[in-house]
Amino acid sequence: MFDIRMKDHDEVALSGRFDAAQVEKARSVFDQLTTTTVVDFKELDYISSAGLGVLMATQKRLKDAGHKLRLKNVTGHIRDVFNIARFDLIFDIE
Amino acid sequence: MEKKFKRDLRSLEKVFDFIDNFIAKQGIDHSIKNAVYLAIDELFTNMVRYHPKNRNDISLALKKEKNKVIIRLIDRDVEPFDITKSKDPNIQASLDERSPGGLGIYLTKNVVDNIQYEYRDRMSIITLTKNLGRKHV
Repeated sequence: MFDIRMKDHDEVALSGRFDAAQVEKARSVFDQLTTTTVVDFKELDYISSAGLGVLMATQKRLKDAGHKLRLKNVTGHIRDVFNIARFDLIFDIE
Repeated sequence: MEKKFKRDLRSLEKVFDFIDNFIAKQGIDHSIKNAVYLAIDELFTNMVRYHPKNRNDISLALKKEKNKVIIRLIDRDVEPFDITKSKDPNIQASLDERSPGGLGIYLTKNVVDNIQYEYRDRMSIITLTKNLGRKHV
């Protein structure tokens, strides 16, 4: 079960499994972001390339406006996937 | 264990349940779970996306052999697409130059130990081998 919620006006929390079936739900929140935002992965168990695609598209859009996503609590499986995709090169990971 | 799944991204939850069931029944170390999820999820998702009008279900078979897990996905009545020959994305590129395309197969290649592709009778047959007993993504 995937969930996404705004924890604050500048922080988004993800939980559960972020796969291709969850892209629409995730984009309904990420597409609304207009400023630098922290994404909290503490409760996220799993991510696929579909989830990476949403993050990357949001980062590109925010960068064009002078903002960015900052990723926190990236551990375990999520950290390993980010390492394979070299997301450390295109995101600030706290 | 073998099962057919409807060609729909909403089938992914059932695919994950099937994998959980297999791992539990075989008594396999739970740490392999996300790597198996990822390898199968990426290929299944590609099969759904690239042949959306195909009415055939997608077959998934899981088997434990000694110290490895053998995963087989079969997609029927499709055009060939040899994933072992797909070009890797440039993951060193800047954000402006990067696109999400190609990351799925690249992730799969990185979390399994062997990939074989076979095309016969208009079937794409992908066989993945995942060794047990090492660190898993």
